[in-house]
Amino acid sequence: MKARRPDGEVVELMTVNIGPSHPATHGTLRVFAALDGETIAAAVCEMGYLHRGFEKMVEQGTYQMVLPYTDRLNYCSAMMNNIAFCKAVETMFGVELPERCVTLRVILLELSRMIDHLVCNGANLVDLGALTNFWYFFNARERVYKVWEKLCGARLTNTVTRIGGMYRDAYPGFAEDVLDAVQVVEEATHEVLGLIEKNRIFIDRTKDIAVVSAEEAISAGWTGPCLRASGVDRDLRKDEPYYGYETYDFETVIGSAGDTYDRIMVRMYEILESAKIVRQAAMRLRPGPVNTSDPRLSLPSREQVYHDMEALINSFKLIYEGVRPPPGECYDAIEAANGELGFYIVSDGSGRPYRIKVRPPCFTQWAHYGDMLTGSMVADVAASLGSINIIAGELDR
Amino acid sequence: MFEWIAAHPYETIALLLVPAVPLLFFQLLPLLVVLERRGAAFIQDRPGPNRAGIPIPGLGFQLRAFGLIYNLCDFIKLAVKEDFVPRFAASRFYYVVGPFIPLIAGLILPAFIPVFAPIAYASGDGVAWLAGQGIASHSGLLALFAFAGLSAYGLVLGSWAANSKYALLGGLRASAMMISYEVAIGLAAAGMFLICGTFDLARIVAWQGEHVWGIIVQPLGFLLFTAAAFAESNRTPFDVVEGESEIVAGFHTEYGAMRFMLVMSAEYFHMLVAAALISTLFLGGYHLSPIPLPLGPDGAWVALDDRWMREHIGSVTAVLLIALALLALYAARLVERRRRHYVASGASDAARRGREYRFYTGLFLALAGLAGLAAWALWGWSEAPRIIAGTAVWGWKVDLLTAIVQFHILIAKTLCLAWLFVWVRWTLPRFRYDQIMALGWKVLLNAALVNLLLTALLVKLIG
Repeated sequence: MKARRPDGEVVELMTVNIGPSHPATHGTLRVFAALDGETIAAAVCEMGYLHRGFEKMVEQGTYQMVLPYTDRLNYCSAMMNNIAFCKAVETMFGVELPERCVTLRVILLELSRMIDHLVCNGANLVDLGALTNFWYFFNARERVYKVWEKLCGARLTNTVTRIGGMYRDAYPGFAEDVLDAVQVVEEATHEVLGLIEKNRIFIDRTKDIAVVSAEEAISAGWTGPCLRASGVDRDLRKDEPYYGYETYDFETVIGSAGDTYDRIMVRMYEILESAKIVRQAAMRLRPGPVNTSDPRLSLPSREQVYHDMEALINSFKLIYEGVRPPPGECYDAIEAANGELGFYIVSDGSGRPYRIKVRPPCFTQWAHYGDMLTGSMVADVAASLGSINIIAGELDR
Repeated sequence: MFEWIAAHPYETIALLLVPAVPLLFFQLLPLLVVLERRGAAFIQDRPGPNRAGIPIPGLGFQLRAFGLIYNLCDFIKLAVKEDFVPRFAASRFYYVVGPFIPLIAGLILPAFIPVFAPIAYASGDGVAWLAGQGIASHSGLLALFAFAGLSAYGLVLGSWAANSKYALLGGLRASAMMISYEVAIGLAAAGMFLICGTFDLARIVAWQGEHVWGIIVQPLGFLLFTAAAFAESNRTPFDVVEGESEIVAGFHTEYGAMRFMLVMSAEYFHMLVAAALISTLFLGGYHLSPIPLPLGPDGAWVALDDRWMREHIGSVTAVLLIALALLALYAARLVERRRRHYVASGASDAARRGREYRFYTGLFLALAGLAGLAAWALWGWSEAPRIIAGTAVWGWKVDLLTAIVQFHILIAKTLCLAWLFVWVRWTLPRFRYDQIMALGWKVLLNAALVNLLLTALLVKLIG
């Protein structure tokens, strides 16, 4: 491929497809790059290889039926998607959740954030050739998955929340297991930090690679750790608190340079901050109901169904027609591991969503990725792609 | 012909050494693969390859041999796989030839490495020498570098012939790496040439035995040489030629089945040779002690060189055998602990695995016992030399035992260094290609030049 430089010189470029099946593109992503030697003269990113069809599929069932689909959005932290969707629907109803449910959700959210960061950084380090860190992280992640297994029986796709509460209450000893897992994750994080934080090779590979300035990040619509790595103090948990996040004692981790190093380190230290939140939340866990008693949302107990006509009808209607939010539209978002995970729901008053639009955090990051690559080298594609944490599952909806 | 052999036993041995030394090194490859796999697992807190095993019918257990069986499985799998040449290959011939070049060039390399000290034997009225290396050459190291450099041709030709963009990038990287680090590796070793006053590896090793190891007189040279050797053998953190996760598999992206195995064995073989070369140049080769020790009569300091070794060969062997026996006992203890742990875990195959662990324990204990017996038998044994034309000529028993002991000392050092290669690979991230070039040209080359200059000055001043 021939191309003309700004100074008028014509250069021969080699085009190469990095992806959709390439060891560094975790998922089916495609970067079409024009190489001048090993330097990337230009790159175009393409998505859509996963053919997910999430947003159309969910219009076919009731609101409750959406939940298992949300697991598959960001499968590294499935519970966050569950909670984000439930929270959006609950906001439409305007219901108040019991305290125990909120605290449980905070624990699940923060543990999910931790394991999501473990996967993201672990995979990123693999792309840099530091394979061992991946196993240190995955051994720790396994401990959290053991807790998931005990909690709901599933490891990857949990579907653990319900609209208006939880699938079921946590098992006895949940808090202790959670604290143990947090301990293990923290140890693994410190271990890996010890291996990489001052490692000259690692710093050379990540410092000033794929730099995104604060202005660029904001104009590209970035959120989450990637935005914070560019030095913008924006965290929904602090700025638009939900689930009582304002009452927890934790810091927002903010980078300065917006390079790959900062993005990795922001995630690393966010793991430690999340650990703080989980510890506090585990202390606050008090016995109590985990489901709202609002009859519009929660199924009546079996006792009531067998003895009370109204409860029987309600049970039928909730299951066959689904929960029916008032007509209107609603956008609600949480600070997911990767950024702002929002659900925009349009309700026509029936039990099926008229339209659900997901605002996945990695969509805006992927859209900006091609520009980030210009002028870097082939090896930097692997180094920086991991740091913006593209999850094809939520990218292609 | 047999008469000639009977009349010239030492000449026959010299001829046989040419293929024998490379083959002796080659048979270490499976061990190296296991070292890599189990080493990686050990570093990464995971069990590693421990499933594949050969059922032993009579004894009722599966022999897994610490992951060695995996090599067999890999070999069978790759050998029976379809051997294809891609339709889009730019050149069928070079595609086929490519992977052979690094392996064949690599196979010659160990022949230059002295694996035991030269042996004097009576020949006519005078004394002749049997060199302790396959190819005894005065320009030994230069020839070795030349052959090592040839392997880059294989990578470049193969990657170009495969006609794949990723392979081409890998091939480009390979040629750039070879040019950059060939310079640094030669200059890093040059300090030793100056000090020993020779290119001949056998004499460099002999010098280290008579004085001190190379690492003591050339610490910087050792570091530079090791770094450059890592780069030459394409190991992490310099494995950009393969660059998995960047350029898929680099130069061997389009290679499968036995061709892939050729590429991989060449890589491991180069690593082995690099380790052996580092041991030879800087870690005293087949010598035992880095510095002279007060082992002479009345506690005098003597260099533990070849002559000392032959005088005390029985006791030296005995000490080494006792060390081996202790290692075997430690291994037996590890296996026994593992057995108890496994049986206590209540796994469904605990009985079968328990028998297997018992078998290993027995094996190690038998090894320790045999080593102990041999040590007891050998302690203090040696024979006096005959003096022919002013040179000490020892009996064939002393010569044989010395050669075996010296070879194993070299192999032990080589394997320890191979472990260093594994350790580094699973600890450090990978450099970027341009950073490697910068490191090679701007840091290693300059440091090697400074090292050479200082060494030259010192050698001139001290004489």
